[in-house]
Amino acid sequence: MLVAALSLAGVDLSSINGYISGLINLLTAQKPVVAVLPAHSALALGLGVGRLNSSNTFQEASAYYFAEGTEWTSEFLNLHGLLAKELQIYLVTGNVIEKDEDLSYQTCYCLNPAGQVCCAQRQTHLTRFEQDLHLSRGDKLDLFRVGNFYTGLVIGNDARHPEVGRIMALQGADLLLHSGAIEGDQTCWQQAAGMWAQVQQNQLYAVEAQLSATIANTVFGGNPSIIAPCETTFGNTGYLARCNPGEPLLCAELDKETLSEIRNDNPLLKLLNFDAYTEICGSEPQ
Amino acid sequence: MNLTGWKERLFQRYLIWSCRREKIRRYLRDSLPSLPLPDPVDRRSVRVGALQVKLELCKSPIAFADLVHRRVKEAYEAGARLVVFPEYLNLLLFGMLPGIEELEKDYSTGIAAIAKNEQQEQTDVISLPDLFRFMTPAVQPLIFTTFSALAASYHLYIMAGSYTIADQGAIVNRAYLYDPKGELIGYQDKIHLLPVEEEWKIKRGKIFNVFESALGRLAMPVCMDATYFETFRILEERGAEIVMLPIANLEAYNYWLALRGIWPRVQESLLFGVKSALVGSIAGLTFTGRAGIFAPLELTSNRDGVLAEVDCFDNEALAIADLNLDSLHELRCSHPWRDHNPALYRRYFPQVYKR
Repeated sequence: MLVAALSLAGVDLSSINGYISGLINLLTAQKPVVAVLPAHSALALGLGVGRLNSSNTFQEASAYYFAEGTEWTSEFLNLHGLLAKELQIYLVTGNVIEKDEDLSYQTCYCLNPAGQVCCAQRQTHLTRFEQDLHLSRGDKLDLFRVGNFYTGLVIGNDARHPEVGRIMALQGADLLLHSGAIEGDQTCWQQAAGMWAQVQQNQLYAVEAQLSATIANTVFGGNPSIIAPCETTFGNTGYLARCNPGEPLLCAELDKETLSEIRNDNPLLKLLNFDAYTEICGSEPQ
Repeated sequence: MNLTGWKERLFQRYLIWSCRREKIRRYLRDSLPSLPLPDPVDRRSVRVGALQVKLELCKSPIAFADLVHRRVKEAYEAGARLVVFPEYLNLLLFGMLPGIEELEKDYSTGIAAIAKNEQQEQTDVISLPDLFRFMTPAVQPLIFTTFSALAASYHLYIMAGSYTIADQGAIVNRAYLYDPKGELIGYQDKIHLLPVEEEWKIKRGKIFNVFESALGRLAMPVCMDATYFETFRILEERGAEIVMLPIANLEAYNYWLALRGIWPRVQESLLFGVKSALVGSIAGLTFTGRAGIFAPLELTSNRDGVLAEVDCFDNEALAIADLNLDSLHELRCSHPWRDHNPALYRRYFPQVYKR
């Protein structure tokens, strides 16, 4: 199954037509089954096309979006539903604001080839900044099928919390689709400590989209990657493919059979020692 | 071949006699220095040493004591207050077995069968678990006496490495920790076993221990335990600050494969990690690794999570670094992304951990 991770580098974010035609050009050329947009795609496009108020700092821009971005979010999701249908792909939107009664969440959607939502995943772990914005944490981690892969969505900060990957893996996940964005231009070790580590300890695949753009004077410089158990990759690096800086799209082929083989040869999850874990089943931090 | 015949029992008595506490204590008393007490520990600069030990067969308990003494002295002279030895250090003591070289050849040629703990009729090979059991009554007094004396003489905390030993009928992979008075602070049984250790019927530990010390709160899971985030999360929640990890990796060295253990665990749980490695070959088994000292990315100058790491993966070496425990606490209190979601864990962990 061919999968794609996007960085949005070089994609026109100043007009909706330019953005859509840019994505169509990129994805039509590769024809992936699944494509993952990075985190803050909605914010970057909303600012670029003037649907959201411009700000001097990323914090201000985010705060405005989380407070006032519901209408733009709806437009953004409709737009990507049409895009998924047009391209006949599963399309992961990156994080958008979701309001549910009095609570606000960062939520990531996967839109299926019919343009409909097949999974909505709320972020389960918040950064300090997100906590200050009074966002709420999701408390569910659902899987859905893409081809013969059981798949889960991982948003932003959840990549750094191994509980997320473990819960999904023990529910049967084969593939994690991650929408990420990391500030700065030296992100390789932060990325390794996130999705790469989750993949290695859970023996599954991950498609890691990372934003390569500047939002309100803040540079995001992560590089998309497609990650697999080390033993299944060239040089045992754990990377099936890694984007070079400035590249907008990365693709790789995933093989369920290869995953099954490594799980049989080295059954890491069968060697878990559940009896020893009782105290992390929901205790409050000390 | 079993190890219960009269010759084997007689030899075992000889081993126990040659490793007896009085003898080792007397030998070390004559060879260990009398050193002044060190300055009080400064939590902003705790120097630790991670040893990389080359596997060599020690023909006698004195040879073993000399070897570990030399390595402790090396770390002491580098300024370490905590010295960490690797996993499976008891393999060095196989040198005390007569005919071990011939036995090694048998193991080398029949290693697949040994790994499955199958007795090979044609070569009559002794299983490794039988050897671990056979040597325990000699190994335990030797390591207890040696590391206690070394810790007291050099005023150091010493994690003595791990040993596969018999305990009430079962075999465990157990790491020991000594304080600067030479007292045994405690031990830690390996909780996640390799498939081959499962086949050897090694008994899994169930409790993750954290030990109070003048250097901070210490823990010492063993090798494979670092493959699983749960180990470090539990230790973090129990207050561990410095996690020592003795390893003996049975695989050809590869940077990325080796990165999968303690490095990501330190990043996930915001601790210091001290990895000691056993390297070299015995009985057709080749161990590789690089001893190192790791910290959260934010506490390392290159932002790569590495405070120190030895250059080689197949030879003797020492990694030394200073740990700032105050900085660790400041980071934990102000960390930009660390979060906790008890509702999520309560919803899923009781279910998924039973499957």
